[in-house]
Parts: sequence; C-alpha cells; structure tokens
Amino acid sequence: MRRVKGIGSLLLWGSPLIMVGIVIASILFGAKNLPMSTVWDALFHFDPENVDHQIVIHSRLPRAIGALLIGAFLAVSGALMQGMTRNYLASPSIMGVSDGSAFAITICMVFMPGSSSALEMVFFSLIGSVIGVVAVFSLATLVPGGMSPVNMAVIGLITGTFLSGVSAGLASYFQISQDVSFWYNARMHLMTPELVKVAIPFGIVGLVLALAISKSVTVLSLGEDISKGLGQRTVLVKVIATLAVVILTGISVALAGKIAFVGLIVPHITRFLVGIDYRRIVPAAGVLGAMFLGLSDVLSRFLNYPFETPIGVVTSLIGVPFFLYLIRKRGGGTHA
Amino acid sequence: MLKSGMTRFGFVLLMGVLLTLAAVYVSLTNGAFDMTLAEVGKTLLRINPDPSHDLVIFEFRLPRIVIAMLVGFGLGVVGAVVQGLMRNGLADPGILGINAGAGAAIVVFMFFIQGSIQGTGWFAIMAKPLFGLAGGLGAAVLIYLFAWNRGKLDPQRLILVGIAIGSGFGAVSLYLSLKMKPNDFEMATVWLTGSIWDANWTYIAAMLPWLIILLPIMMWKAHLLDLFQLEENSVKSLGVATEKEKSILLLCCIGVVSACVSVSGNISFVGLIAPHITRRLVGIRHRYVLPISGVMGMLLVVASDFISKTVFQPVELPVGIVISIVGVPYFIYLLRRGRK
Repeated sequence: MRRVKGIGSLLLWGSPLIMVGIVIASILFGAKNLPMSTVWDALFHFDPENVDHQIVIHSRLPRAIGALLIGAFLAVSGALMQGMTRNYLASPSIMGVSDGSAFAITICMVFMPGSSSALEMVFFSLIGSVIGVVAVFSLATLVPGGMSPVNMAVIGLITGTFLSGVSAGLASYFQISQDVSFWYNARMHLMTPELVKVAIPFGIVGLVLALAISKSVTVLSLGEDISKGLGQRTVLVKVIATLAVVILTGISVALAGKIAFVGLIVPHITRFLVGIDYRRIVPAAGVLGAMFLGLSDVLSRFLNYPFETPIGVVTSLIGVPFFLYLIRKRGGGTHA
Repeated sequence: MLKSGMTRFGFVLLMGVLLTLAAVYVSLTNGAFDMTLAEVGKTLLRINPDPSHDLVIFEFRLPRIVIAMLVGFGLGVVGAVVQGLMRNGLADPGILGINAGAGAAIVVFMFFIQGSIQGTGWFAIMAKPLFGLAGGLGAAVLIYLFAWNRGKLDPQRLILVGIAIGSGFGAVSLYLSLKMKPNDFEMATVWLTGSIWDANWTYIAAMLPWLIILLPIMMWKAHLLDLFQLEENSVKSLGVATEKEKSILLLCCIGVVSACVSVSGNISFVGLIAPHITRRLVGIRHRYVLPISGVMGMLLVVASDFISKTVFQPVELPVGIVISIVGVPYFIYLLRRGRK
C-alpha cells in the first residue's frame, strides 16, 4: 500500500515533467514523424513558409494541449459527479451529458449546416449537456430508488440511448450519419489553436467552480444527512457542482466528441492514491486525467499505424477491463 | 381472486391479439402499393392469384410483418423475464450487452466477409444471422464469466458487467464502422439501430426454432419468477435451486435475444416497455405477465415498423429509432403514473 502511495506522489509531483514528455511525444509522432530540431525551430524560430513548422504550430501542438485539457476536464467532472451522488459509477458518459451534447450537435449539423464556427458548436454542445443532465436527473428523481448506483447507470443508459436514437434517426434521415459519427467520435486530429483558445476560458470557469466547491463535496460524499447536519446547503452545493460538470463536459464533447471512461476510471485511481478529501481529489484527478488522455491520444496513432484510431476506442480499450475489475472488486456496492 | 385474474388475463389477451391483427391488416394493405382487403384475402387464400399481388405480399410485406411479430413477441417475453430475474423494473435485454455483442459480430461480418460471399444460396443468406448469433452468444459467455461470483449469479453485477461489455463491443463496432465506405456505413448504422428492412422467409426459418424451444421453457418456469421477488433465503428455504433456475432462465433469454438480434438488429426498449404496460394491465403474476408482455411487444413492433416504413417516406427510419422516440416518453409517463 505504501509503495502504491509512493508511486502516486511520484506521478503527481513528476506530472509537469511527464506532461512535457507527453506533449513532446505527441508533437514528434504521427503520420509524419518530425525530427526534434524541426520542432525546436518551429517553436522558437517560426517560419510560416515551412510546412513542417505549420504542422507543429497549427496541428500537433494544439492537439497535444487539447488532449491534456480535455483529459483534465473529464476527470474533474467525473470526480465531482461521483462525490456528489455518492455513486461510484457516475461519470459524464454514463449520465447522459455526452449524449445530450452529441444530440444538440447533430441537430445543429442537420438544421444549420454551414454555420459551424467553433464557438457556435461549443455553445450548442453546452446546451445539449444541460439537456442531458436535466433529463437524467429528473428521471432519476421520478423513479423510486432512482438515485442508487445501478438504477442511475440504467437511467443514464436509457436516456443516452433515447437521445442518440433521435440523433441517429435525424442523421440517417438527412443522410449525414457518417459525418456526425466522425464529428463526435474521431475529432482529435481536427484540433486547432482557435479551439484550444475557446476552451481555456470555459475550462478556467469550470475548474475554479470545481475547486471552490471541492470542500463541500467532501462533506456531501459522507452522505446527505451528515452534510445537512453539519449545516451545509446541499442543494446549492449540488447546483454549483452540476454547473461545473456541465461546463467541463460540454466543452470537452464540443472539442473532441464522445470520449468514454476517462471520467469514470481516473477519479477511482485518484481516490486510491490521495484518499477521500475532494480538495485533493479534484486537482489530482485533473492532473492524472490530463496524463491519461494525453497518453491515449499518442497511443491512438500507433494502434493501427499509419491510420488513426478514434480516441474513444483507445480509452474504451483501457477502460472496459478496469471497469470490470472495479465491479469485481466492489461487487455492486453502494458508493465509492 | 384467481378467477377474476383469469378473466382479466383472457380479456387483455384477446384485445391484444385483436389490436395486433388490426395493425397487421393495416400494414399489409397500405404502403407504396395499396391493396383492398378483398385483394389481400384472395392472395392469401390463393383465389385467382395475381402475380403482382403475390410479389408484394409474399416477398415484401408478409415476411417483414411475421419477423416483426416474432421479434416483438420474443423481446417482450424476455424483457419480462429479465426484469423479474434482476428484480429491477428498469432492466432491459439490451442492458445485458448481448445486442452489442451480436451487433459487433455483424459489423465484423459486413466489414470483412460480406463482399466475398457470392450468390444468393441458402448459406449466403444465413451467414449474417449466424454471425449475429455467434456474437450474441460470445458476449453472453463473457458476461456470464464476469458476473458469476462464488457460485452465485448476482443480478446487480450482471447489469454492470452487461453495461461494460456492451460499451466494449460498441467501441469495436464504432472502430470498424468508421473505416467503412459511406454506403456500407449507412447500412451498418441502420442495422445497429434496429431494422427489419431485408426480411425474408429464410430468416424466419432461422429464428423460429429458438423461439419454439425456448419460449415454452420460460412460460413453464414463469411461476418461479414470482418466487424470485421474495428474499433470497426464503426462496431457498422453499426448496428451489435458485442458481440453477436463474441460469436456465437467463440462458433462454440469451438464446431468444441472440436469435432476434441476428435478424432484426438492435431493437431496444421493447423489452423495457412491454412488461411495464403489461403489469399495469394484468398485475404482477408472471404466469400472466409473460404471454401478455409478448403480445404487447408484438403489437409495439408491428405498429412501429409500419410507422417507420410509411411516415418518413421516401426515407425509411430504422424501427428501433421509431420505438425509442415513441417509447421513451411513454415509459416516463408510465413511471410517473406508477409512482403516484
């Protein structure tokens, strides 16, 4: 156990170095491998005429940073959701946020083709996330026992199937299925500096909210009654936490599409490493999530070289076995 | 009590069958080529057969309707059994991940093999459903292995494992389908969301044995599902070999779902909604719930299939989507009513 904690603190304290390593790897490797010297020149003596420099600045670098940001966002929202609902299965992809967002984006692509500037897409994606969350939560409160881990997962799945069913119906009716599917399943290679710039302010707001609320989430994760007994305004805490989740997940889906399992498994690893205090879990989950997705993104280019694998497939590849392990270990227990 | 239960059951059964027949009639006579009842009757009874009517009815409409009925019946019954087994009204056969396994196998088939099969022989037609069946059974074996814990089948764990395996197979399907040509992709998506558009008599012959063998077993074991609603220990003290019975029922479900999915793709929500409607109509005794749930499923799929092929002309929406668009709001309504 102590050795695991040792590795954990090594990971966390070494994270700046590791992230720099991931960014460098992400810039160097791809359909075209670039030599170190070119990258150096591109960063410090940028030459707009040079195609390799263009690749570094306009594609590889934003992609690497984007992957880190999205990983952090998803992991933090997952951690908040799990703490808030005391549900070890809560995660953005299960709770309908991603499906809601994909739903809004499909509608946008069907009814407003052409008007697809990055900012607009982000906006629609956010609206969609809100729809998804509201749908899942209101359904869960309608059903007796709907807030329990298993029922919540099932309700999330039902809502998700419904929303993605409607999206699929619209997409196949207007014959743009594969476009839509590409849009929300395989977008990492389309990352641009503009998208990253759009993401940063949303990310800051979301992360600040998450950090500000983290202490109250710790109390909430002890149970609703204890939390109320300690004089906490639980509804306010839940609203703020949900807001943070919606912002962080919405922006992630808008940037990279549906990426499963990051928000589910990273918080578990984090709790394993740093304990149950959300003041530490939230930032640590962010750091670990960033590293996890950054690494998955690099991996996604090698699984089927020279073709890219959608990053969601890579995270599922790692996530499904972990999820099964989690179930075996916890055996359907009550909460994290 | 028992007598009034029986009468009510008989009445609901009769109404369900009549409504289904009405839906079948509408579906048989309407479409791109309208026919009168007399024409349909004459064709079916072989009085002065007209070749063009024969073609429309026997090659296009009838196989499709028969498949819709069989699939609906199968999924409805399985839904009731799964909900009873898991003691969870939100369970749905799709949650077991079997659909996803069958779906992934079919996508593998479409991607690697379909192009290399020549001809229109029996094997060429059967290859696809056989793949689906293999995929469904493969997924079921995986789920079973993971959900089996110290000689016990834990329903909670079964749901979670099903979700996990389902998303794993979903990732496989996604990976392959993104590599497909746009046309194939369109076909794969239509299939994955549930569709009966390429129905033919061979498919029916392929799925019928599964239903004929497995459905009666489930009906015969229906009374056990009532017992399973009790505490685990009290069931055991009644002398029921719970784990064995659960496994038998579950294996039957897996067989039926695989057979249905292999011909009609991933039609979700039927198994979720049909039992809910049924319980409102005839109560909670599984001896009544199972058959009625099957009839409700039948009605649901036949009606939705008709909507899917006519309302959105000239495009045909997958029937699975029609069901989820119509079914989910209704399901929410049912849950609300149930709570009061």
